[in-house]
Amino acid sequence: MEAVKLMREIKTIYEQERNYLPKETGLSLIESTTENDNRGISAKCRDAKVEDLWSLTNFFGYSTQTFVLAVNLLDRFLAMMKVQPKHLACISISCLHIATKAVEEECNVSSTNELIRISQCKFTVSDLARMEKIISEKLNFELKTITALTFLHLYHRITLSDTSARKEALNLDKLEVQLKACLCRMAFSKAKPSILALSLLTQEIEAMQAGDLLEMASHVQRHLKIADAELLHWRGLVAKCMTDYSSPECSKPDHKKLVWIVSRRTAQSLQTSHYSVPELPTIPEDCWDESESEDSCEDLSSGEESLSSSLGSDAEGPYFPLHFRCQSNKYHHTS
Amino acid sequence: MGGSSRAMSSAATTPPSVDKVDGFSRKSVRKAKQKRSQSSSQFRSQGKPIELTPLPLLKDVPAPEQPELFLKKLQQCCTVFDFMDTLSDLKMKEYKRSTLNELVDYVTVSRGYLTEQAYPEVVKMVSYNIFRTLPPSDSNEFDPEEDEPTLEASWPHLQLVYEFFIRFLESQEFQPSIAKKYIDQKFVLQLLELFDSEDPRERDYLKTVLHRIYGKFLGLRAFIRKQINNIFLRFVYETEHFNGVAELLEILGSIINGFALPLKAEHKQFLVKVLIPLHTVRSLSLFHAQLAYCIVQFLEKDPALTEPVIRGLLKFWPKTCSQKEVMYLGELEEILDVIEPTQFVKIQEPLFRQISRCVSSPHFQVAERALYYWNNEYIMSLIEENSSVILPIMFASLYRISKEHWNPAIVALVYNVLKAFMEMNSTLFDELTATYKSDRQREKKKEKEREELWKKLEDLELKRGLRSDGIIPT
Repeated sequence: MEAVKLMREIKTIYEQERNYLPKETGLSLIESTTENDNRGISAKCRDAKVEDLWSLTNFFGYSTQTFVLAVNLLDRFLAMMKVQPKHLACISISCLHIATKAVEEECNVSSTNELIRISQCKFTVSDLARMEKIISEKLNFELKTITALTFLHLYHRITLSDTSARKEALNLDKLEVQLKACLCRMAFSKAKPSILALSLLTQEIEAMQAGDLLEMASHVQRHLKIADAELLHWRGLVAKCMTDYSSPECSKPDHKKLVWIVSRRTAQSLQTSHYSVPELPTIPEDCWDESESEDSCEDLSSGEESLSSSLGSDAEGPYFPLHFRCQSNKYHHTS
Repeated sequence: MGGSSRAMSSAATTPPSVDKVDGFSRKSVRKAKQKRSQSSSQFRSQGKPIELTPLPLLKDVPAPEQPELFLKKLQQCCTVFDFMDTLSDLKMKEYKRSTLNELVDYVTVSRGYLTEQAYPEVVKMVSYNIFRTLPPSDSNEFDPEEDEPTLEASWPHLQLVYEFFIRFLESQEFQPSIAKKYIDQKFVLQLLELFDSEDPRERDYLKTVLHRIYGKFLGLRAFIRKQINNIFLRFVYETEHFNGVAELLEILGSIINGFALPLKAEHKQFLVKVLIPLHTVRSLSLFHAQLAYCIVQFLEKDPALTEPVIRGLLKFWPKTCSQKEVMYLGELEEILDVIEPTQFVKIQEPLFRQISRCVSSPHFQVAERALYYWNNEYIMSLIEENSSVILPIMFASLYRISKEHWNPAIVALVYNVLKAFMEMNSTLFDELTATYKSDRQREKKKEKEREELWKKLEDLELKRGLRSDGIIPT
């Protein structure tokens, strides 16, 4: 049966996953580092960089797998090496590039030049190449890693293999996006991929109220011998992350970080477009404006009414023909 | 004299055969031909030299005699000289110039000189000097942006007359109640016609003159506004030719600035029926800054006008002139800088549909200018508040041009915008990404099916063809 085969596969992979976990001590060190400390990376720093990686992944049209792999490489590297914050950009982009080359088809991999240009980084192509080499060496060239995504795909296939009639299958894309949201937070780097994926699965199952799948999920849990307490712990964190992610509150984008480079001509037009206060002083309109118009009887415009009415500049003024006057009433009422 | 000078200039310096290259007349040749006559037409009896009896200086005469001397000098300055003929009446021209200079100083510092008799003489002197028929311009060939304007030959005198008139109007002793008998509608009408002068210095003076007249003569205000309306409407709908639009708009700016609230219906009409259509003119760049200022002033006075203004701009959005599109985008940004959030919500959908089109424009300056909106903090805050409406409108074009635009700088700017959106509302962004991708896949599938269908048809055709030939396919 398909399900049995899958279960066996899951078990095999489960046993290997610890090889690809970032060192826990390293992760703790990052979490305890404060933001202003220039000697090391803080959790917030790492999270911001991971979000940048997600932006770039999205922009270049790379798959979620590329992103997940990149984050895994990044976390593993940061957990084993003490890194200065100023190098973080180079490291993260290198991880992304390594991941891209490993996952995407060659024709879809964009050049390092383009990568650096779009991400507005300050280092060069040769810097990037060197960093890639360092990272690959440090990670022993173990680039095809097992990640939460691997498990997620397997779990998903299991739910599909369930022969009982299901109205709607679990949406894998949605799960991938949720995984992405979790990975943007350092807290989840410590989680075992199998458990993280299972947590995501179960909370989505509950959201869909698919009771039958719940049983399958607990079957998997028992199969992998995952403790209840552990699963509950991570499910709690996942739930909180999902609430934050789907909240309608918009976080203010930090566009101060982004550089806006415009062409010379546009820059020039931006300067001249702001017409500053004119030299002519303001002429205040008086409410008794027209009352002194004695020379209004000498009307030179042909065929029009005279300006004899003193406050005649209102709706009845001879400015516009009749049908425009009806419109003027419209404005009167809206003001 | 005036007529013959034109005949002289037509003796062109270059042979006519070099006139046209590839069917277009070369600009250098056009310029070389432009040894134009400078002056406006003044009819003068020819031959007789002008003689003016030199009068004593005002400062050399005792105070009680000064008013009468003042009048005499004014009368003398009514004599107009021909500046096209550079050699005639040089001495007298110099005399008039120094007299005018003297009058300017006199009006500025003196007290008690302005008698009732002075008013008509002043107005007469000014009228004689400045009111004239302006020469016709090469309306087809004169490009206001590129070519040098034709300057007024009699400027040495003309400038002093304007200077004098302005100081007269601004003088402490000036009494509008007396002056209004002489500075009347007819005067104003002639003054307005002069705004079509090609000499920018003259227009600058006229601007100040009209501004002062508008300020001081309350009875003329409605008339002036109406005449300016007529000028603009004629300009927009009939001639598209008038040199003084920028100056008139500058005056209007100071008038709009002073509008009392609530705004009169007449003013709102003016905004919608005159100022908005003024945007459609080809030579917009010559007066766009002043026009945008007027628009923004209106909106600061009455925010409720925002919706009709923006809808008007969107209606007249340039479709073939990219230079104008960039101007419109600049003006729109200035409007958005002062917009109220409630007004913003009313027009955000049509507005961002247009911005979405601009952003995808193959003309990189248009795209760049539109994308730069995302660098404006206030606009960003408005977008953030309404991201659920705006993001779906912008998304498709942004995503598409991030892959397809030819200009790498634009692609980099698009990244900034997409990143901002991503951070603003990641849930919606992810949803839209997913929808976009599935839409694209559906499209690709359809394309593939269509291709296969064609291929099948081709095969069918081939098979049919072979059978009718009687050849059995193997």
